Amino acid sequence: MTMHAPAPDAAKEPGRLAITISGLVKHYGSHRALNGIDLEVRRGERIVICGPSGSGKSTLIRCINALERHDGGSIVVNGIELTADEGTVQDIRQEVGMVFQHFNLFPHLTAIENCMLAPQLNRGLTKARAEKLAMHYLERVHLADHARKYPSRLSGGQQQRVAIARALCMEPRILLFDEPTSALDPEMVNEVLGVMEELAASGVTMLCVTHEMGFARRVADRCVFMDHGEIVESRDAASFFQAPESQRLRDFLAQILR
Amino acid sequence: MTNLSLADLAGYMRQLGEGALITLELFLTSFALAFIFGVLIGIATLSRSRVVQGIWRVYASIFMGVPSLLVIFLTFYGGSAMLGAVLGEFGARIDISPFGAGVIAFTVVYAAYIAELVRGAIENLPKGQFEGARALAIPPAIMWGKVILPQVMRLALPGLVNVWSFMLKETPLVSLAGLQDLVAAAKIAAGATKEPFIFFVATALVFIAFSALSFRLASRLETRLDRGQRREAAGRSSSRAAA
Amino acid sequence: MNGLPIDLALAWESLPALFDGLKVTAILTALPLLLGLALAFPICFARMSDRRWLALLAEAFVTFFRGAPLLILLYLVYYGLGQIEALREGPFWILFGSPFGCAIVALSLNHAAYMVEVLRGGLLAVPHGIVEASEALGITRRNIFIWVKMPLAIRYGLKAYQNEVVSFIKGTAIVSVVTITDLTAVANSIFEQTYDPFTPILCAAAFYWAFVNIIRLGFGLWGRWLNRHNAEDVAADAGVPGRGAALRRTSDLGQVTP
Repeated sequence: MTMHAPAPDAAKEPGRLAITISGLVKHYGSHRALNGIDLEVRRGERIVICGPSGSGKSTLIRCINALERHDGGSIVVNGIELTADEGTVQDIRQEVGMVFQHFNLFPHLTAIENCMLAPQLNRGLTKARAEKLAMHYLERVHLADHARKYPSRLSGGQQQRVAIARALCMEPRILLFDEPTSALDPEMVNEVLGVMEELAASGVTMLCVTHEMGFARRVADRCVFMDHGEIVESRDAASFFQAPESQRLRDFLAQILR
Repeated sequence: MTNLSLADLAGYMRQLGEGALITLELFLTSFALAFIFGVLIGIATLSRSRVVQGIWRVYASIFMGVPSLLVIFLTFYGGSAMLGAVLGEFGARIDISPFGAGVIAFTVVYAAYIAELVRGAIENLPKGQFEGARALAIPPAIMWGKVILPQVMRLALPGLVNVWSFMLKETPLVSLAGLQDLVAAAKIAAGATKEPFIFFVATALVFIAFSALSFRLASRLETRLDRGQRREAAGRSSSRAAA
Repeated sequence: MNGLPIDLALAWESLPALFDGLKVTAILTALPLLLGLALAFPICFARMSDRRWLALLAEAFVTFFRGAPLLILLYLVYYGLGQIEALREGPFWILFGSPFGCAIVALSLNHAAYMVEVLRGGLLAVPHGIVEASEALGITRRNIFIWVKMPLAIRYGLKAYQNEVVSFIKGTAIVSVVTITDLTAVANSIFEQTYDPFTPILCAAAFYWAFVNIIRLGFGLWGRWLNRHNAEDVAADAGVPGRGAALRRTSDLGQVTP
């Protein structure tokens, strides 16, 4: 699969597109965090977004599920255009799961209750069904044994895996990862990456902000390099690493890969 | 203002002003005494002695668990009898005024709260402070006066402000023992003029204004005490956010 | 006078009357606690609203009913509201016409003002990331409030709530000034009949002490149950009496309120 950025024929088949972003602009006061982003994500595509801190990569994926409201341009998720309308935002969030750098688990709920909350509230599942669903996904992240524990009793890696299971329980078609391993102790990074790789193999659409270049090489269909609120380069993983075009990306890779 | 002549109003204002002065006097005297005793008790309770700890627990539990109004009544009605028991015939002849009862009651009650604050603040001081002072062979009196207590006050200040404003709001209770304070004056004026609404709202606003003023002073004091501490405080809060 | 200032026979005789007084005190505690809490929620929302005039209005309410001494509030409601013609003619006169109704109104307003701040403190302490995670799961704002924000706010604000309830109970002692025969009034009337300055007041004090400490105990148990997800902290805290809540220990200092 060698694909260079926005696949030209994909636009003609909207059904195959998971996310279409065009001309996206986001300000924080006078600072332009995103400066005209265009990005198309096909169904099942796995994209790794990287770039120096402050390049706008987190802001970009946080705009996709409206955690940040964009100021210009458009975002279309599974055919729904993201507007300020509360109902539309809600609809899009049902389709998009997110995993955060700092896990953000509900501290007052056990691992399984963390996973059950959204399905019960949003989809009206009975407790028994939600529990079955939650258990299924906890098994998938290899945490079935820890289902009844509170987050404070789990290691960082385990907490992040619960957070992944929690997102999966809404059975989203798109998963966003915002530096999921950055807050982890080094020895726990691999257990989380392992789960993410298994997910990638399952065919879910993934957008992942990360500096784990090994993961990018193994998993990503496409790598996107951002700097100063713009997409500088966007291409398939192999050529991204072997033949970076821009000087900025070469510098960045040199730094991050030493 | 419906049926109030200006002359009447002036008269009531004078009475209210006098009452306000009595309230202020009562409040400041009580707070000063409670503060002094509170700090002394707070330091005294650092003793490991079982007896001291036991007395402190009982004292704190009783006066933090009982309405101040009852303590005021007890000192007012029972004060002379208590003095009689301690000082004999001479003491029994001393009559306790409502003002005196109020001061005694507030001192006893609020010294407990202030002692608790001081204890907490001393416990929260880094142990190095004591060790450092000891290593430099600083005499204990100077260590406490120049090193420990200023820091304790800085740590205890938010709590002290709380106690200050709470005590202020309890001072009207002494009017129930017959003190002619602001609230008593307001009640008389309200009854005589048949304008209770105005007088009570105005009285309430006096209390609110006084508290607002003292809060402002306190926050200014806080920023002054915090000078040179900001970095440490910032470090602490960020580490808490990360936890 | 013998060594003990308490006349045991009188104390024994007074018990039934004191219990009746305690009952009145308990009712004058329970009703305003419920009404005040119910009132505190909308006012707290207003206080935290983005609409400036609404927030200012709520703040004015809090400043007045928190800043005014309870005795003055009671006088204001009891003597002051009767002045208002519309109120005297209206259906609420059943409430404002009786000392008991006035006491309930004054106490509830006072408690509500304090509870607005307790609630607000608890809600503001809820980590933003956890709210974001709930939003990302597509949970509605209402459900986030009920299932995520409130449960956490209760945990963060429990200590402040306990302090407020305890000082509120003690504050009810003033209702005797509007001819309600609560615990303090019963003690006073026994004093007036017997001129024994110690026995009735000390007995009433013992009743208050017991009442307050039962409430403290209840809060302690509640806090331990709520903090079961932090079992370690609770166990460590159990050794430090009077310091229940495991969350936010550092701020305890500022929270010791009479």
